[in-house]
Amino acid sequence: MYSAFFVAWCQLTYNKVKLAVAAAGVVVAVMLMLVQLGIRRGAMDNSVAVARRVTADLVIVSPRTKTIFASAQFPRRLLYRVGSDPNVLAISEMYMGQGRLRNPWNKLEFPVSLYGVDPSAGMMELPGIERFTEELNDLDRLLYDGMSRTNYGPIKQYLAENGSLDVEVNLRKVRLINSIDVGISINTDGNLFTSPVNFLRLFPDRKPGSVDMGLIRLRPGADTQAVRASLRQYVGTEAKILTREELVAAEIVFIRENAPIDFIFGMGAAVGFFIGFVVVYQILYTEVTNHLPQYATMKAMGFSDRYLLQVVLSQSVILAFFGYLPGFVLALGLYRVATKAIQMQFSMTVERALFVFVLTIVMCGLSAMIAIRKVRTADPADVF
Amino acid sequence: MVDEAHNSTAQTIISTATATPAISARHVNFAFGEGDLQKQILFDINLEVATGEIVLLTGPSGSGKTTLLTLIGALRKVRDGELDVLGHHLHNASLEELVEVRREIGFIFQQHNLLPFLTARQNVQLMFHLHPEVSPDDASRLTAELLTSVGLGHRLDYYPARLSGGQKQRVAIARALAANPKLILADEPTAALDSQSGRDVVNLLQELARGRGCPILMVTHDPRILDVADRIINMEDGRVHPGEK
Repeated sequence: MYSAFFVAWCQLTYNKVKLAVAAAGVVVAVMLMLVQLGIRRGAMDNSVAVARRVTADLVIVSPRTKTIFASAQFPRRLLYRVGSDPNVLAISEMYMGQGRLRNPWNKLEFPVSLYGVDPSAGMMELPGIERFTEELNDLDRLLYDGMSRTNYGPIKQYLAENGSLDVEVNLRKVRLINSIDVGISINTDGNLFTSPVNFLRLFPDRKPGSVDMGLIRLRPGADTQAVRASLRQYVGTEAKILTREELVAAEIVFIRENAPIDFIFGMGAAVGFFIGFVVVYQILYTEVTNHLPQYATMKAMGFSDRYLLQVVLSQSVILAFFGYLPGFVLALGLYRVATKAIQMQFSMTVERALFVFVLTIVMCGLSAMIAIRKVRTADPADVF
Repeated sequence: MVDEAHNSTAQTIISTATATPAISARHVNFAFGEGDLQKQILFDINLEVATGEIVLLTGPSGSGKTTLLTLIGALRKVRDGELDVLGHHLHNASLEELVEVRREIGFIFQQHNLLPFLTARQNVQLMFHLHPEVSPDDASRLTAELLTSVGLGHRLDYYPARLSGGQKQRVAIARALAANPKLILADEPTAALDSQSGRDVVNLLQELARGRGCPILMVTHDPRILDVADRIINMEDGRVHPGEK
């Protein structure tokens, strides 16, 4: 009438110190897996954040462009050609470049990403940028990304308190008129947003005729793929047309190939898994070994091998639970610490929480599978 | 080794025992190892234990008593000879059949082998897992009754670590009796106990077994407890000593 689970529970909880040590091993493993996978995902998400913010239906880039962080330009006239297609509702050009923003407090310059985009076009989801349409059309007015690193000084607070701040960008005096929260990545420490006109004033070498990205809004109900095919004849080999999803996918591929995010953090998670596996195996193996005479006695009394295997498996599941919950809470805390330290957004997803939970169960289960072999060696004939 | 008085009492009781024996061994041989290294332990064992009988198995170390007990307890496979225990034919029985037989036997070992992480009550109640036909209510009632009958009614929720050697052995006896066994096999149950606890344990066994008509086969070296036996079987060099019956 006592289930194997009950026996396993009593065995594990009998010695509270031992249980705490065992659970601590699983806690470390769970925490490592959650944090490593979280940072991996966070770094990836942040790096493609700009691409994800594009809301245009189709995007035109140069065929030389591998990533929008180092984009090649294509002729702007292609955009006007594309605009002649009846299915195209609106077009908008976008300029991107790496500039230098001087910290007004310590007078040091730091690289910054600059975006020249029509704030009223609604082709990019930059929260609140429409409100500043008129101001950004004034000369040398820029918006600051409130999530930029602190390298540039406490600009966000200053803007919130004083309304505007005059700074130096690319050796030119400009005025930051406000901040919006967009987000930075492993490629960039900070962002500045402005209109195409102001962008070109900051990059005197750039010609207005060569743009980094063309944004296309289609008529509602238009078939994206069909329109894309028909637009190809306008751009020929001078540019390529991507859907929004393809743009994001291309960015992810670029980061996978150029930054070892997957490898480093994937390996961190694997190490966590391995640590947990070894700890749980050690605990279960010791438990089985210490109780071998008792297990053999139970076999002599008529308990089947299966029952004892269930006892060991149940123990591994209990350890998984005991380790997962504190590990999860600790990981949440570490996400917060990492968000602050790395200044990128890291957050828990239900998906990852479940994935790591399954990994934890698998980890403990595998350990149990190996420790279980010891149970079979309990020979009831030996207890006499 | 065994005095004549015991033998004569034993014989009178054998005559009252029922016809179908609980244990019946005919020409049982047993050897450890294979080939050249083979060492025969038991030679042509013939033995019967009737229902309700208390039989002691004595003999010097290495005489094969314990091996015989493990064969009868379905803990080892019988390959040579016929061994019937509680109506089960054990010669070349499968592991599943052996486990079935074990469930009908109450084992008492030299070491109590209680699970240290379960209380006295839980250790006994665990046995009812093998007997789902007993309802949980009945199981917990029977458990309390059994522990009270072995004099541990006031120690129900003690862990083995907090019980004395004699008390632990009494829990082990309660455990062996829990599932209403049809046979009790005991291997030197008094070996680890002082003389008074040993005596108490044996008296208890005798009392409980008599009350239930349950036969007991007990291996022992302890001369102080020989008087509980209906019959004493002496073994030497792997053979049942002639003339002991």
